[in-house]
Amino acid sequence: MTSLRSPTRRSLLAGTAALGGASLLPRVAFAKGSLIATTYPGTWEDAYRTVVMPALKKKDDIDLELAPLFAMDQVGKAKAARGAPPFDVFVLDPGPRIVALEGGLFEKFDGKKLTNLGKIPPSLVDDAGVCVGAQVVGIAYNPKKVPAPKGWKDLLVEPWVSRLGLTGFQTTFGTSSLIELSKQFGGSLTNVEPALAELKKVLPKVAAVGLPAAMPGLFQQGQCDVMYTNTQTVATLRGKGIDIAFVKPESGAIAFFTTMHIAKGTAELANAYKYLDLVVSKEIQEALTKPPYNFLPINKDAVLPPDLPMKSLDEMTGYVQHDWAKINPLRASWIEKFNKEMAK
Amino acid sequence: MRPLLKFSEWQLALPLGLAFVALFLAPLMLLVGVSFFDDEKLTQPGVASWAKYYGDPFTYKVIADTLLLGVKTVCTTVLIGYPLALVYLDLPARWQRVLLFIIVMPLLLSVVVRTFAWIVVLGREGLVNQLLLSLGVISEPLRLLQTELGLVISLTQIEMPLMLLPLISVMSRLDPNLRDASAALGASRWRTLFTVIVPLSMPGLVAGCLLVFASSTTAFISQTVIGGVRLIYLPLVIWQQALIVFHWPQAAVASLSLVVSVLSVIAALSWLGRRSTGYVHG
Repeated sequence: MTSLRSPTRRSLLAGTAALGGASLLPRVAFAKGSLIATTYPGTWEDAYRTVVMPALKKKDDIDLELAPLFAMDQVGKAKAARGAPPFDVFVLDPGPRIVALEGGLFEKFDGKKLTNLGKIPPSLVDDAGVCVGAQVVGIAYNPKKVPAPKGWKDLLVEPWVSRLGLTGFQTTFGTSSLIELSKQFGGSLTNVEPALAELKKVLPKVAAVGLPAAMPGLFQQGQCDVMYTNTQTVATLRGKGIDIAFVKPESGAIAFFTTMHIAKGTAELANAYKYLDLVVSKEIQEALTKPPYNFLPINKDAVLPPDLPMKSLDEMTGYVQHDWAKINPLRASWIEKFNKEMAK
Repeated sequence: MRPLLKFSEWQLALPLGLAFVALFLAPLMLLVGVSFFDDEKLTQPGVASWAKYYGDPFTYKVIADTLLLGVKTVCTTVLIGYPLALVYLDLPARWQRVLLFIIVMPLLLSVVVRTFAWIVVLGREGLVNQLLLSLGVISEPLRLLQTELGLVISLTQIEMPLMLLPLISVMSRLDPNLRDASAALGASRWRTLFTVIVPLSMPGLVAGCLLVFASSTTAFISQTVIGGVRLIYLPLVIWQQALIVFHWPQAAVASLSLVVSVLSVIAALSWLGRRSTGYVHG
């Protein structure tokens, strides 16, 4: 035993010393420039790794490092880091964007530093950041299993209700959809009680209540055949050969924009602007609309892909949009309420 | 007298001890500190977060459900794992290696892959339902996914290595002569099992139960993906409060509740384990 023990102890000490020593070294930049940007896990990560990363290296010789994190996780990490941002650029949906804005997590954004500024609708740039993509939310269904629903109310009656997959208020699309459902029963932007009351009545029939990230998998496996989701998820699932179609509800589809922001205190300010300028360029925006990525572009020159509920960017401005400054303060109580009402 | 320069044992444990204080104890204290704030921005100290959390009857249901899930998983892993460990002991060495590989295999797969595989198995159009439908046993698909039954089935498979590895390591050190002696003295196989093997394997069994309990009560991905969000356990509540709502004091209260409730069950199990060791050797 002794002969075994002492080398182990020594190598352990050496290993610990090596590890400790490595962490003391300063951060070394290996290329002309580097940048850490967040991206959403899944399609966003694939697309940015395949399309944007090599393009940035080619154009500006910047090594892009992608940190795949959901919007709320990014805000959580940036808040926890307290002034030393773990990444240089955020990508966020409207709700988390406001939380981060209130937390003072962004550098002031100067749109004039983008060479592509003229190609983006003016409403999509402000002094907090720039929109990089759009999302349209409506109802997805399996046309081989159920007929097309017309609107939100249909979700709660047969034949759809027993095939319905539900998610709560954790995501932007889930919250927006439940608000729209609530409006059909007398609710409003700030009152989702009617939706919860109606859902509770049909709950035993509902096919699945899951985490947002689990829904595409549940749909794919036939656990549910109707769900609320965005056009991108529909296009991605269709690309995998799954029977799925998108319906714009009678009361209107929901539109919202995904934005990028520069983290306060970043050491890579100039590189961050170069990255954002590239992301909103026609080439990148158009490349991202193609399968298997299926993004909705925000550059006016980018051609919209077929199979979308709208023909132009302008048409989307007529879609239902929600004021997240009003939603955010209520969301915690909605999540709690959803837990209690839906719990078995 | 010992030479002055020689390391005593406690000094050797010092790096680990310091790492433990810095990486575990300090964050835990921070968690306790955060829980005593009333607001999300951590400006007003107080006990409102604790009062709100424990003033809500729903909290007790969630804690009870979480602990009960752990108990159910422990029971099923023991019921299936213990006989499997007995089979393992009687196998020739070559087959023991094969069985050991099969037992360890779930640990080699990512938790996401394991969890998704269970969706494929338990789903409405999954393997189990298709088999039962084609055999004519059922006419409508059974609901297995998003039920506690489905969750316990999948956790049993996922946590099985944690039960079997300590169990096998303790049981394979048992003196085979004890079994023969018991048989020679006229005990039946069952009597030998319950009066000789089970008591002697108790330390391994208790260790396995501890690991399975701690792991299944905190298995966030399996709980939410296989169980769905209608089955609410403490990890889901912590995730929602910390990363969706950003109410860190509430998240800290829920986290500490999970730590304390799981630790108290573990303390009880370890006490049982120590007692049984005393019984065996005493």
